[in-house]
Amino acid sequence: MSKFPGSASVLVLALALLVLLGPAALSLAAQEDQAAVDELKKTALKVFLDCDDCDLSYIKTEITFVNYVRDRLEAQVHILISTQSTGGGGVEYTITFIGQNDFKDAKDIQKYFSSKTDTDDDVRRGLVKALKLGLMSFVARTPIATRIGVEYAPPAAAADVRDRWRSWVFSLSGDAYLSGEESYRRHMAYGSFSASRVTPRSKLRFGLSVDRSKETYEFEDETVTGTSSSWQASGLYVKSLGEHWSAGVYLRAESSYYSNIDLSWAVAPAVEYNFFPYSQSTRRQLRALYTLSLAPVRYREVTLFGKLRETLFKEELSLTLDLREKLGTISLSAEASNYFNDLAKYRVDTFAILNLRLYKGLTVYVIGSYSYYHNSQISLRGREPTYEEMLLRLVELPMNSNYFAAVGFQFQFGSIFTNVINPRFGSSGSGGLSISIH
Amino acid sequence: MTMNTLRLLAASFLLALAALAAVPAAAQVPPPGPAAAPPPARLKVFVDWPGADLEPLRKEIAFVEFVAELAAADVRVLVAPPGPPGVGAFRLEFTGLKRFEGDDHALTHAPEPGAKPEDAAKGVAGVIKLGLLRYAAKTPVAKDLTIKFLDQAKPTSVVDKWRFWVFSLSASGFLSGETQYKSGSYYGSFSANKTTPEIKVRTSVYGNLQKSRFDLGEGSIYESSTHGFGGSALVVKSLGGHWSAGAYVEAESSTYSNLKLALTAAPAVEYDIFPYAESTKRQLRLLYRIGFSRVRYREETIYFKTAESLLQEALSVAYEVVRPWGKASVELEGSHFFHDAKFNRLELDAELEFRIWRGLSFDIEGSYARIRDQLSLSAEGASYEDILLQQKQLATGYDYSFSVGLNFSFGSTRSNVVNPRFGNGGRSISISM
Repeated sequence: MSKFPGSASVLVLALALLVLLGPAALSLAAQEDQAAVDELKKTALKVFLDCDDCDLSYIKTEITFVNYVRDRLEAQVHILISTQSTGGGGVEYTITFIGQNDFKDAKDIQKYFSSKTDTDDDVRRGLVKALKLGLMSFVARTPIATRIGVEYAPPAAAADVRDRWRSWVFSLSGDAYLSGEESYRRHMAYGSFSASRVTPRSKLRFGLSVDRSKETYEFEDETVTGTSSSWQASGLYVKSLGEHWSAGVYLRAESSYYSNIDLSWAVAPAVEYNFFPYSQSTRRQLRALYTLSLAPVRYREVTLFGKLRETLFKEELSLTLDLREKLGTISLSAEASNYFNDLAKYRVDTFAILNLRLYKGLTVYVIGSYSYYHNSQISLRGREPTYEEMLLRLVELPMNSNYFAAVGFQFQFGSIFTNVINPRFGSSGSGGLSISIH
Repeated sequence: MTMNTLRLLAASFLLALAALAAVPAAAQVPPPGPAAAPPPARLKVFVDWPGADLEPLRKEIAFVEFVAELAAADVRVLVAPPGPPGVGAFRLEFTGLKRFEGDDHALTHAPEPGAKPEDAAKGVAGVIKLGLLRYAAKTPVAKDLTIKFLDQAKPTSVVDKWRFWVFSLSASGFLSGETQYKSGSYYGSFSANKTTPEIKVRTSVYGNLQKSRFDLGEGSIYESSTHGFGGSALVVKSLGGHWSAGAYVEAESSTYSNLKLALTAAPAVEYDIFPYAESTKRQLRLLYRIGFSRVRYREETIYFKTAESLLQEALSVAYEVVRPWGKASVELEGSHFFHDAKFNRLELDAELEFRIWRGLSFDIEGSYARIRDQLSLSAEGASYEDILLQQKQLATGYDYSFSVGLNFSFGSTRSNVVNPRFGNGGRSISISM
């Protein structure tokens, strides 16, 4: 025992804890055992959990045989969890264990699949199990391994694995939202239906959604009301053509008050090339998608260009880069489109997300988008918007460009351990900034 | 191909409609199983350990099948004994074969000096067991395995020279605009926190600024700005498995709330009916707080005050539960000022996510507040633009929000196929400060 510095104070602490817990039944031997376990915990595996939508408090209370650190460079194992949606509407969690420092030679990849019908508790329990199993070959290198028990309870019979639905998944949902106070009220309703069939060879998806909203403001004796409504239907079929190519077609129909569209239809064949193999998509993608679309449109009000209906013929090229690395997340996209009806009508959209753990304790993020319109707001109303339509943003306004940018940084220092969960007085924010990208 | 595709689309659309009409009928059909074909049962392992008796291994590691031929194995385990007997460590090499090709790793086991050969062999078996779990995790056996830590270690049993203090400095800016509209928001904060099972300390200082500008045409421009800053500290001491005591200290300045500066000190106690150790599963917390404030207002209030001292008490009850069926939380809070009890407030927040049956789930969320304590409202009132842009707190006797959603999924919902072609839906980002 005496070879561990500080063990005396640990003993005193353990003793104090025991006194608090109640003087009953615990022998001196038990105290020594506890002190030995606490010593083992000091040499336990240092883990950096890199996951955007995990219940971290739950994981930390369920898996206590490792130490959690706040900075990736301090860890012996960087656990990078990336997610993708599955054909069944659930989520594929790819858990990549990356050994670092004195564990450089160790690595592993485990997967956990959640189902669309799972509750949050099902998902967090499943993820904890996958994490525990994957952690074992790392924990086996630390002294605490001797205190791990593995139980195996074989099932009585194998489960039925036939799929009578032939990979089809259907989903129906409806939502209503109300809020208000004496001088302000807002009502919203949203409904949707989707049907999809996803296999490695092809992807087929249909969706229909409807939404409606109403805002009411009262000012002195006046009432200002803003309403908006829209619906859209879409279909997509994609066929896989090897590890890099895909081809497919989009079908779309929509109506929107905001965009002055009474009814528009579109048929759009498209091809896609992914510079990385599709099998790496959970970590890396660089996709180029080219779409040609033919769309007859009927407007609600006469447009700025004096039209009430027309048929639009458009081409569109988009480039998307998605990377999920130890250093962080990078997601960039650029999209350009033009109308063949009038080549001077075009637009360019760009979008960027960078969330990087640059250096010990330093995290930087940049989120930005910029769009440039060159006479491409084809559906714009011919009349001037009213004052209320403008302030409440009920209709699309003429513009040449728009942008959004968010930049920030966080620098953290101090204790590297984040083992402790203390729920007292509520789990208010741990301070600082947290960013999650799904 | 396009013609074919279109036909397929049309056919499938009809199918989708038919399915929509048949929802109640489909709901009575038993649930679907997973889409994959049944994979082989247990992992096949070949152990290459010259001179060792494998029978104890078989007994100890029941979740794999030990095979006698390397050709039949999924994983090969090579056990290299330590050099001279009784010194050094066993080296265990795990090599993945067939579908585990390339999935290799190595472990070591050093028996205690002078350990008996049986004890050394037992130790090796324990390490082989842990080393095989990463492969077993990729077989159907995974769902029948349970891993347990046999002890309870204190989360603070680490060597930490910072004594669990963490400091964060952060700043963010959000900008957006188009031809006729521009807005910017800026936030900055510094926090110092300490979290141990015995004590929790949260301190922070922050500032924020929002600006927006509307170009209403014909040279008419509307500009607005709001700002706020403040600081807060919370110290909570643990008093056993159910009780906690602590204190809040806060300073706040805000144009939205008409506060030039409000200083508050509030001691509080909390009791959790369930042990705090179960907090990720269930909590039922009662929190009582008594606060003394000194407030200075920016503009004279509707009660003709520019400054006042206030004493307030508040009691809240919060229940939270997370279970396999879903989750629920309810919080009720009541407060009043002592100088005149008619200045009071009652707030109720509730949330429920419930899986009624397989793919049928229901969620409901609501909040209601009865407000009788808007002491800081400006006598001057709010302009038309202040109201539409929500820049000032408004006089109200209540506020509410309510949302309800119903989701029904059926079909092959256990299908684990990932097909990333043409994108898998957009990205969503959330930033919290």
